[in-house]
Amino acid sequence: MHALLPFVLAQAVTPDDLVREAARLQRNYEHLSYGLIVAWFVLVVYVLMMVSRERRLKREIASLKAMLEERPKK
Amino acid sequence: MRDKILYLLGAAAILIVARNIYVIAGLPGEEAQGAIFKIIFFHVPLAITALTCGTVACVASILYLVKKEMKYDALAVSVTEVGLAFLAGNLITGSIWARIIWGVWWAWDVRLTSALVCWILYASYLMIRHAVEEPTQRAKLAAVVSIFAFIDVPIVILSIRLFRTQHPGPVFFSSSGSFPHDWSMIMMWNLFAMMMLGAVMTMIRLRQEEVQREIDSLRRLAHAF
Repeated sequence: MHALLPFVLAQAVTPDDLVREAARLQRNYEHLSYGLIVAWFVLVVYVLMMVSRERRLKREIASLKAMLEERPKK
Repeated sequence: MRDKILYLLGAAAILIVARNIYVIAGLPGEEAQGAIFKIIFFHVPLAITALTCGTVACVASILYLVKKEMKYDALAVSVTEVGLAFLAGNLITGSIWARIIWGVWWAWDVRLTSALVCWILYASYLMIRHAVEEPTQRAKLAAVVSIFAFIDVPIVILSIRLFRTQHPGPVFFSSSGSFPHDWSMIMMWNLFAMMMLGAVMTMIRLRQEEVQREIDSLRRLAHAF
C-alpha cells in the first residue's frame, strides 16, 4: 500500500488541479481586498460627510452671528 | 484643545489599524478557507463596534426619557449614525466573505437577516428624526424608536447560539472557539482601534449636534427681532 502512495498522489494531483488551486487563491485574495476596500470606503465616505457638515455648520453659524451683530446697528 | 485630542486619538486609531493590516497581510491563510478568512479581522470588530453603538444609543435614549436633557438625545443620534456606518461595513464584508465560502452574496439566515433588520431599524431612526420639526417631540419619538430598535441587538448577538444558522458559530468569547492566541491578539488590537475610531467619530458628531443646537437658538433669536 505504502509503495503505491506516490503513484496514487501523482494521479490525484494533476496540472489542472494546480491551475484551479492557483485561481482559487487568486480569487480569494481579490475578494479579501474588495472586502477591505469597501469596508474602509464606507467609513471614509461617512467621515467626508461629517467634514462637509462641519463646514456647513461653521458657515451657517458665522452668517447668523454676523446677521445678529448687524441688526442692533440699524 | 478638545479638537486636537480628538484628532490625535483618531490618528492613533488609524495607525493601529494600518499596523494591523500589515501584520494580517503576513499571516498564513486559514487551512480550509484560505486568505479570505482574514476578513474576519475586520468583519467581527466592525460588528462589535456597531452593536456597542446601538447599546450606547439605547442607554442614552432611556436617559433622555428619564431626565429630559437634550445632551442625551444628541449622544443617541451621534452614536447611532456612527454605528450605522460600522454596521454597513460589517454587512458588506460579510457578503463578500459569503460569496467565496457559500457561493452566494446573501443568505436569508437568522444572523444575516437580523443584522440587516438592525441596520434598517437604525436607518429608520435617522429618517424619523428628519420628519419631525419640533426638537422636544423629535427627541422623545426618536428615543422610543431607538429603544425599540435595540430589541434587535441581542437577537443579532444570540442568533448563532440559539438557532441553527448557515453563519458559523462564535469564535470569540466562546469555549468552542479555536482561534490561535496570536490571532486573537491581533483581533483584540483591531477591535480596540475600531472602538477608538468609533468613539472619536461619535465625539466629533456630538460636537456638531451641539453647534446645530446653537444655530437653532440663534435662528430663534434672529426671528424674535
